[in-house]
Amino acid sequence: MTMTRRDALKAKAVAAASAAAGMTAPAFAQNIPTARDETELTWSKAPCRFCGTGCSVMVATRNDRVVATHGDAEAEVNRGLNCVKGYFLSKIMYGADRLTMPLLRKRDGVYDKNGEFEEVSWDEAFDVMAEKFKKTLAEKGPEAVGMFGSGQWTVWEGYAASKLYKAGFRSNNIDPNARHCMASAVAGFIRTFGIDEPMGCYDDFEHADAFVLWGSNMAEMHPILWTRLTDRRLSAPETEVVVLSTYRNRCYDLADIEMTFTPQSDLALLNAIARHVIKTGRVNTDFVDKHVNFKRGNTDIGYGLRPEHPLEQAAENADAVGGSSDMTLEEFEEFLEPYTFEYAEELSGVPARRIEALAEIYADPDKKVMSLWTMGVNQHTRGVWVNNMIYNVHLLTGKIAEPGNSPFSLTGQPSACGTAREVGTFAHRLPADLVVANPEHRKVAEEIWKLPEGTVPGWVGAHAVLQNRKLKDGEINAYWIQVNNNLQAAPNLLEETYPGYRNPDNFIVVSDAYPTVTAQAADLVLPTAMWVEKEGAYGNAERRTQFWHQLVHAPGEAKSDLWQLMEFSKRFTTDEVWPAELLDAAPEYRGKTLFEVLYANGNVDAYDISETEAHPNHESDAFGFYVQKGLFEEYARFGRDHGHDLADFDRYHEERGLRWPVVDGKETRWRYREGYDPYVTPGAGVEFYGKPDGRANIFALPYEPPAESPDDEFPFWLVTGRVLEHWHSGSMTDRVPELHKAYPNAMVYMHPEDAGELGLHRGSEVKLTSRRGDMLTRVETRGRNKVPRGLIFVPWFDANQLINKLTLDATDPISKQTDFKKCACKVEAAT
Amino acid sequence: MRFPRTSIQIITLCGVLAAGVAVAQQATISSLRPTPPTQDETPPPMRPAIDASLREVRNYPEQPPVIPHDIEGYEVSANFNKCLSCHARAATGRSQAPMVSVTHYVDRHQQVLAQVSPRRYFCTQCHVTQTDDEPLVTNTFIDIDTLIGMSQDSE
Amino acid sequence: MPEHHLSSLLVHTRPDTLDAVADRLEAEGCEVHGRSPEGKLVVTLEAEGQRTLNDALTRIQLLPDVLAATLVFHHVEPPEELARPL
Repeated sequence: MTMTRRDALKAKAVAAASAAAGMTAPAFAQNIPTARDETELTWSKAPCRFCGTGCSVMVATRNDRVVATHGDAEAEVNRGLNCVKGYFLSKIMYGADRLTMPLLRKRDGVYDKNGEFEEVSWDEAFDVMAEKFKKTLAEKGPEAVGMFGSGQWTVWEGYAASKLYKAGFRSNNIDPNARHCMASAVAGFIRTFGIDEPMGCYDDFEHADAFVLWGSNMAEMHPILWTRLTDRRLSAPETEVVVLSTYRNRCYDLADIEMTFTPQSDLALLNAIARHVIKTGRVNTDFVDKHVNFKRGNTDIGYGLRPEHPLEQAAENADAVGGSSDMTLEEFEEFLEPYTFEYAEELSGVPARRIEALAEIYADPDKKVMSLWTMGVNQHTRGVWVNNMIYNVHLLTGKIAEPGNSPFSLTGQPSACGTAREVGTFAHRLPADLVVANPEHRKVAEEIWKLPEGTVPGWVGAHAVLQNRKLKDGEINAYWIQVNNNLQAAPNLLEETYPGYRNPDNFIVVSDAYPTVTAQAADLVLPTAMWVEKEGAYGNAERRTQFWHQLVHAPGEAKSDLWQLMEFSKRFTTDEVWPAELLDAAPEYRGKTLFEVLYANGNVDAYDISETEAHPNHESDAFGFYVQKGLFEEYARFGRDHGHDLADFDRYHEERGLRWPVVDGKETRWRYREGYDPYVTPGAGVEFYGKPDGRANIFALPYEPPAESPDDEFPFWLVTGRVLEHWHSGSMTDRVPELHKAYPNAMVYMHPEDAGELGLHRGSEVKLTSRRGDMLTRVETRGRNKVPRGLIFVPWFDANQLINKLTLDATDPISKQTDFKKCACKVEAAT
Repeated sequence: MRFPRTSIQIITLCGVLAAGVAVAQQATISSLRPTPPTQDETPPPMRPAIDASLREVRNYPEQPPVIPHDIEGYEVSANFNKCLSCHARAATGRSQAPMVSVTHYVDRHQQVLAQVSPRRYFCTQCHVTQTDDEPLVTNTFIDIDTLIGMSQDSE
Repeated sequence: MPEHHLSSLLVHTRPDTLDAVADRLEAEGCEVHGRSPEGKLVVTLEAEGQRTLNDALTRIQLLPDVLAATLVFHHVEPPEELARPL
């Protein structure tokens, strides 16, 4: 019996209508005996679409549909396991409200900012969009266009976007949502080591004797890494787990030492630990003498608020946030003198004896320690400092860059590392740790990109929070958002984000697979292919680059972000967007489209379409060459021989990922350590080659108070975050019925006594209010999170409970990353 | 094989027939949130987990089954695992609960262990309870039996 | 270029008119795949060309006892592609 495409489509049609009717598709429940060729599935590998762990999954397809997924047993990261979200990946693409046509706000047949959304063709969508971008560029220049991208872009999407903006439009106003997520980790790495991303890898989990979680709730946010940690802790009973957080979470179920601390006091705890290491003579002096410098960091650096804010006006070093001066170990010891365990207890509320127990774990030369952190540390107005201070402890004790001794910064998005950081889609970066402010770095980019000198501008573009401020102030007028839901995600929604999107001077474009609240606030919505509807590459938290093939078609007219970027570039010529002096100096670029100079440049179009024969993809079909391979190979030239080596394109399609630098075909598990890292000079033992003198920095940094603390009017700390069952803003997971029904609505976790004093109980409807906005929710006094008195926790996945109406747009002044973990609010019964 | 140029359109369920085919005009496209960010609706009541103990059909064999009973107050910690007190192999005679899958006895290196692998210890990382909240959006996932069944049906 | 349109509809009627509506739908060229006791019918409808499909949809909408008919799935491609074995 042969099945035709028509039969398959008809099956799909019936099942879709049956699902809509709430009926089981008829006659399928019988166990029909089937021939092997009919029950056979095509299984392919792909990285998971969610967090930065980078699990590999096997994806079964049949009749152009994903029909099943499971954990990939061959993948080192997860060895056959997935978390609950990962197990439901099969359903994330099949929400009934997938966007299938561009939608433009129109009135009387033409674009109108206050019109209603109407379906339009891609041609019409791009016509209107190009007109808006051209007008903005002509009238106000490159600083008035902007883009907000993502750590969920594939490597080549981020790379193509970066080229379009930084070289095509000559605007560095491009930033990823990784700014909300990893920027403090990046700045921490660059300040301490001069090169981004962890030195260790996930193999550390099987080698460590102790795990210290700095604010990270891995049990919910990195479940598969938590399984590796659990595996180690339970199968090697001598190992210890220390959990630090501002409230009790699921990780406490495995904690040997638990430390619930007052927000912001992590700064004091880390200094108390460093002090203890020095005072008890456990500094690894040989290591420190050879590999470490000491620096006194600038203090009183402000809170990244608008410059006119009183806190910024009062900050002494608001204009020199990253500065530092040299010091000695003795001076560092003197600096730490006030940070006794008692003082740390006073600030943190953690008993001095417990702080000492943790300090002993770090100080004991025979214990291998893995420190782990994510948003608790990074979403912090002193996030870069906390990153630096964790490294301080590991560097003082020499517990770094070897199996089991590992300060490990986890990531939140599937390609925060691979795309946002390595490709450098930040407002100040270029690929492979190069920066736009450095003329030599720009020259490298221009040479690889075959563009005239001076194409890439040297000004640092607007970061995430600044983009929203500039939209509101009417300074950025043409704006494109891809793969993220920033209206829901960004802080201070009502005062900063929403007014900017609805500012009549602005044209806002949102590319998404689903109609999110951000799409609702936009002027043009572009339907977007997701995950295995395109060929992709992600890079996870342990420097592992992973590829996947396109496995199914996107619905309707949905196209990948990559196709959108490249197709849109065809609508601009150099004469329209580049200044006369640039073209006068390089007249051969005159009259060419941006597509020709950026993508049909001899590099990107170097690989023939025939190479995609076995695994076609819609972008290559559209442009006539192997787009992904061309982009990747051009991009890889930035990092090869510069400590960021990537393997050849084709190899990644064969492997379950490889950890860079990949030198002579071999991946690197531990960087900076001779024997593991080929970049270390033979005989050096350890070499922090990111810094010119090969030494890492220990920074003397104090405790400083947060931007906003509870007071009489707003007596609670507000902490926001995620839950296991949903990922980020829920745009994928809230469309999977099982995940929705597992955690249907956000709620506020409160201490039962706080609730009782306010006359509230479990399930009460309450209004949460901060100085910036309010939100309705319900009280939870039990459940998975047990918060201390005076603190509440609210997850942000729920589109109907926009907690970012309350949050403060204070950022770390160095990294520009928002602090979503502490502001002041009040709770009252809803009337 | 090259992909054929096709267009598949799954139209949202709110569109009536004629409007569904013609150009759709939509005031609100955001399907999870019906109101603008400035205006909140009363949050739905908190519903308890479904406690009927009836097994739910899985979407595919590899899917972890959802938990069909309430687990509030269950302790799963380094010292005790309440779930295993019924679902462990030895307990199932007394409890008549389904035994944890054999996959759970395999460690990272594919070695079969005498007991549940520690890496599978925290059950709620994969198994979740369900409330009877309605999904906000229909999901059009089609399971493999439906796909195969339909093709045979149409023969 | 010839186009084959394949669509599925969810048709609502009253439980007591379920079978009558099913017959009328079949007379319009629909294939009925499922019916629920509450009065819902799952049908597919195929047509050569957008105009033909639109006309059929309009007629179904106006059939006696049809309370609502919602297009759930719509797919277009050349007939020869559809005949291709998988």
